[in-house]
Amino acid sequence: MDDVQPKPLPEVNLPDLNQVGKPLRRVDALGKAVGATVYAADFTMPNMLHAKVLRSDRPHARIVRLDPSQAKALDGVACVLTGDDVKGAKLNTDLPGQTGREARSGSDAPVLALDTVRYVGEPIALVAAETLDLAEEALRLIDVEYEDLPAVFDPEEAMKPGAPILFEPDNVVSRYTIRKGDLDAGMAEADLVVESTFRMPFVEHAYLEPDAGVAWVDEQGVINIRVATQVVEHFRSIARALGVPQNRIRIRGTMVGGGFGSKEDITVEIFLAFLTRETGRPVKLVYTREEAFLATSKRHPFTITHRTGVKKDGRITASQIEMVADSGAYPYLTPYVLLYATGMATGPYKIDNVRIDSVAAATNQTFTSAFRGFGGPQAALGYEQQMDEIARALDLDPLEVRRANYMASGDTTCTGQEVSSAVWSEECATRVLAALGDRTPDSPTRRIGRGLANTFQSYGRIMWFHDTSRAWVGVELDGTVVIRCGVPDIGAGQSNSVCQIAAEILGVPLDRVTIYATDSAVTPLAGTSTATRQLYMSGNAVYSAASKIRARLARRAAEYIGVSEENILLENSRAIVTDDPSRFIELDALAKMCAAEGIELSHLAQFNAPFTDGLDPETGQGDIWPDFTFGAVAVEIAVDIETGQIDLLKCAASHDVGRAINPAAVQGQIAGGTHQGLGYALLEEFVLEEGRIRTPSLAEYMIPTIFDFPETDVIILESGTGVGPFGAKGIGEPALTPAAPAVANAVADALGIRIPELPFTPKRVLEAVVEAREKRTL
Amino acid sequence: MTERRPIRLIVNGRAHEVSLPPNTTLLTALRDLGCTDAKNGCEQGECGACAVLLDGEPMNSCMILAWQADGARITTNAGLGTLERPHPIQEAFADAGAIQCGFCTSGMVIATKALLDRNPDPTEAEIRDALSGNLCRCTGYGQIAAAVHLAAERLRNLPSWSASSASEDGQEPAFKKRVLASDDVTGEGGRS
Amino acid sequence: MTLPAFDLLRPTTLDEALRLLSEMPDALPIAGGTNLIPDLRKGSHAPGSLIDVSGLPELCCIRRKEGHLLIGGGVTIAELLDDPMVAQTTPILTEMASSFAHTLVRNRATIGGNLVAAAPCCDSAPALLVLDAEIDLAGPEGTRRLPLAEFLVGAFTTRRESNELLTCVRVPVPSDRSYTGFVKMGLRKISCMAKIDVAVRVEAHSDGRCEFARIAIGAVAPIAYRAEAAEAHLAGNVLDAVAIAEAARLAGASAHPRSGSEYKRQVIEALARRLLTDVAGRIEGGS
Repeated sequence: MDDVQPKPLPEVNLPDLNQVGKPLRRVDALGKAVGATVYAADFTMPNMLHAKVLRSDRPHARIVRLDPSQAKALDGVACVLTGDDVKGAKLNTDLPGQTGREARSGSDAPVLALDTVRYVGEPIALVAAETLDLAEEALRLIDVEYEDLPAVFDPEEAMKPGAPILFEPDNVVSRYTIRKGDLDAGMAEADLVVESTFRMPFVEHAYLEPDAGVAWVDEQGVINIRVATQVVEHFRSIARALGVPQNRIRIRGTMVGGGFGSKEDITVEIFLAFLTRETGRPVKLVYTREEAFLATSKRHPFTITHRTGVKKDGRITASQIEMVADSGAYPYLTPYVLLYATGMATGPYKIDNVRIDSVAAATNQTFTSAFRGFGGPQAALGYEQQMDEIARALDLDPLEVRRANYMASGDTTCTGQEVSSAVWSEECATRVLAALGDRTPDSPTRRIGRGLANTFQSYGRIMWFHDTSRAWVGVELDGTVVIRCGVPDIGAGQSNSVCQIAAEILGVPLDRVTIYATDSAVTPLAGTSTATRQLYMSGNAVYSAASKIRARLARRAAEYIGVSEENILLENSRAIVTDDPSRFIELDALAKMCAAEGIELSHLAQFNAPFTDGLDPETGQGDIWPDFTFGAVAVEIAVDIETGQIDLLKCAASHDVGRAINPAAVQGQIAGGTHQGLGYALLEEFVLEEGRIRTPSLAEYMIPTIFDFPETDVIILESGTGVGPFGAKGIGEPALTPAAPAVANAVADALGIRIPELPFTPKRVLEAVVEAREKRTL
Repeated sequence: MTERRPIRLIVNGRAHEVSLPPNTTLLTALRDLGCTDAKNGCEQGECGACAVLLDGEPMNSCMILAWQADGARITTNAGLGTLERPHPIQEAFADAGAIQCGFCTSGMVIATKALLDRNPDPTEAEIRDALSGNLCRCTGYGQIAAAVHLAAERLRNLPSWSASSASEDGQEPAFKKRVLASDDVTGEGGRS
Repeated sequence: MTLPAFDLLRPTTLDEALRLLSEMPDALPIAGGTNLIPDLRKGSHAPGSLIDVSGLPELCCIRRKEGHLLIGGGVTIAELLDDPMVAQTTPILTEMASSFAHTLVRNRATIGGNLVAAAPCCDSAPALLVLDAEIDLAGPEGTRRLPLAEFLVGAFTTRRESNELLTCVRVPVPSDRSYTGFVKMGLRKISCMAKIDVAVRVEAHSDGRCEFARIAIGAVAPIAYRAEAAEAHLAGNVLDAVAIAEAARLAGASAHPRSGSEYKRQVIEALARRLLTDVAGRIEGGS
């Protein structure tokens, strides 16, 4: 993989645009820079109560007695709620407004535990009091008596006969089978079969902003909840849990201080809804860091086994994959995460004969759900480590093995879905390898390793969810632009992207665009900021709405100037004649003219993703996602073979983003996503022992500091072939996926043997060094 | 034994007389005064989101009792600049793409201010050291380091914003409580 | 989350602080608070009162006197790190300070607080042990002086009485033939608890031989300790590769780790060998 030349890019003619494609200052940047942005915990109301949640300290137990009477009697306590008070309300963990899943009976998480707790951290009771001190004191006064039940902490154990059952009839939460081609024939054709097993840990999102919200009942009796969330549409689930009509719950989303999937699930908002309804007063609930660790989802641990049939030249003839995922105590989004991992299990490679069996099982541990990549990163840790294992078994260069198998545009994934956009796997791979430059020499105590990972990751939701987004765009009489769009901004630039798109189409500078976002009552619903879907979905909705207005403005301007409509260009807040820029009308004058004549200056557009049916239940064949983003990371590391410490020396990441709406923001997504992936490989492990958390805070759970890794060399490629506006593909989740397997491959390159389990802590590495010496690979 | 007591906090150049119980952290006191730009990210000194300047030195306000800051000059990020008149450091963060979710930003800006006040032209290593207590989960830090370089460059080229004048936030030069003395060695290690 | 209730007293002189500590048996001194405040949140301590000693002028200076470096208990890690006299006389303390927690905590945490907290991963203890540091404890009866090794009893336990304050760390200024090194290994490069600290000091003869050596190890046992067998192996010897390797092996073998003993033994051995090799290379007149 040394001395690799970048593969020449296919010719692409992307138009040069005025706003799109420019690294402009994001519309949300200055407010955050000066500390003016009001996050969820920064908001207070008059007469506000403070809430706390009592949580289980047992992994599996029956609640024998739950007595809140002393807490209720405490002066200053406004309200104590237990499972009985919320009438067995369930936290609907299916996707809002969707019908994708057959819920297992009774497996939806109760808002408050009724008679059984299934993990440490499960909510049992809520308190609202005049002060935070009083709320904390009241929690201590709630008397709980448990009777411990047998518990299970490993998904494989959970599926064995006789295991403690979390939900009848068994602990299996979800299962998929993929059958493509003829596995046996493919294996028979192979010169060699390579088998490997890889394991990944629980991982914590560690967003900087602990979950928070404030709720109140307004003069119409509507419950308003101002909350840091990725999903304003949770108002529907909350309404169902409360037994109120959906139009009586209003979610006012805030700027979110990082979500990464964790704030895709309902967090504080459901508790706030019950408490404010009960008390009639505003209530605030802010998790401590420890509670944010204890109470929210984690990335799924996976065990993935690959059995791959290969020819001597590296071509894959058959791929058999087994996956076991840990769902934790409740399903939440596990069925979908498992589907993502399964549907992307064979990577960006053309493999004709595939058999995949995947399963997720419940255990008495913190529940697992969405985390940037949503199963894709775990799948990639499987297929990309396996590619290198194949290279080693065949004594081939890892890049050569990949070249022998790269899928091309028009090829199909393991579910038979055809990839119709550009596939620039090799373009990305050769660039990141070239970016590493000269190889750092070994020293007696430091072994240098290089690793490459090529991955693909979907963007846009599962197509049988029938995903939609809406946006309203309007031009004011002074030529400024307003967007109303319920897009939660979780820091990735979701709101800025749609502003830049509207600015481009309406020909105004970015600072002439204002967006109002994330209010379920007044901004058109745009769907979730998850699944790398907002640029694709809401970007297309804004594109559509702005284009409608643009057409009206152009028509009126053409009439005014006396040219044909096609000759009008909107640029620099003017409508100008394309071939004679001296003839123009200012946008504000044009807007006033339109307003006076009753020409609509606003438009509400809805964008519908392609709607499909589900997969064939027997073969798992069918289309799952709208499109994919392809990318690669290469790293160079040094392993200290005496201490087991790994130094990341160089890191390069390249993705085909279709079209970079804002290249500075794209660079931030790729650099930041890569960094999270590097942390996944080298630092991060959310440790549970017998269901109890051993890494309860940021003092024990290590996320990367500014010291840990060098700056990633980010190489942005633009094929212009995505299904987003201007040919954009999504990059939020794809940015993370290749980093960890690249590191894993570099460690294996340095040691000559593979450590099958993340993260590569010094202790694990040093044990591997001893093993490598015994095997004479080092 | 834990009754409230009036203390004086000089926050962003403005004196506040507040009555607080002794177990109130400076972070809580500041946020109750409306300085919600100081963020609560962990309450144990691990994340740096609550960083403020206390008599010119950057510190975690979650680890200081408000009473311990009685009479001290405190600067939060919002005290450095506003939307209408942002501080060059704040502008550099916005311009360099150093901001994603923004929750770490106030602490980052404060740590940067402290660095540039004493070192107007820091190296990459000095920047990393200065920001070693500020966690960011979004950016990967590269654009943050670039923002610090950009801010340093702009401040060096803008005399009115030069770090030594540092008067825009009502900040006195950092008060040094230390007294150095040396009775058997002279001229060694003396620092006023 | 709120802190448990306590009173906070802010004496302005050392005498007043000591009087308050004596009068209030359930009081704890607080300086930087970087250990204490998280501990209070967790409920590890429940003092009736805190005595704020962070501003006491008697505790806040670094001086050189009668061949000793006197570091006030209230000196912050940042002050230690920035002090040119410390860098010149005891560079191991500068090295230690540069790997201590992170910049924001260093501005607050004090050397006295770090020692009094006596966490197993306390970074300052191994560096001070190789310097033969002593500490001064002021109490109602006056001030007593203890070698640091005696002061540290076990995890989170010291010989400080509840009415005493650690006022000063006394470090004999090493000779100009003293060579030191310090390394901290944690789970990440900065801002983490030490998993292993190793500190070494070699006092060299003019011919380059080792007169005596100090090797201290932190974070692997309840409290930092000196690897005396390893030290003895070096005393009087030329610091060649063979001697260093054996001393390093003995240092590793000294470990009484809390967990992962074989791994920690290997790493201590490697780190000690590297530090000693580096030191040997710097010794003037050495081979």
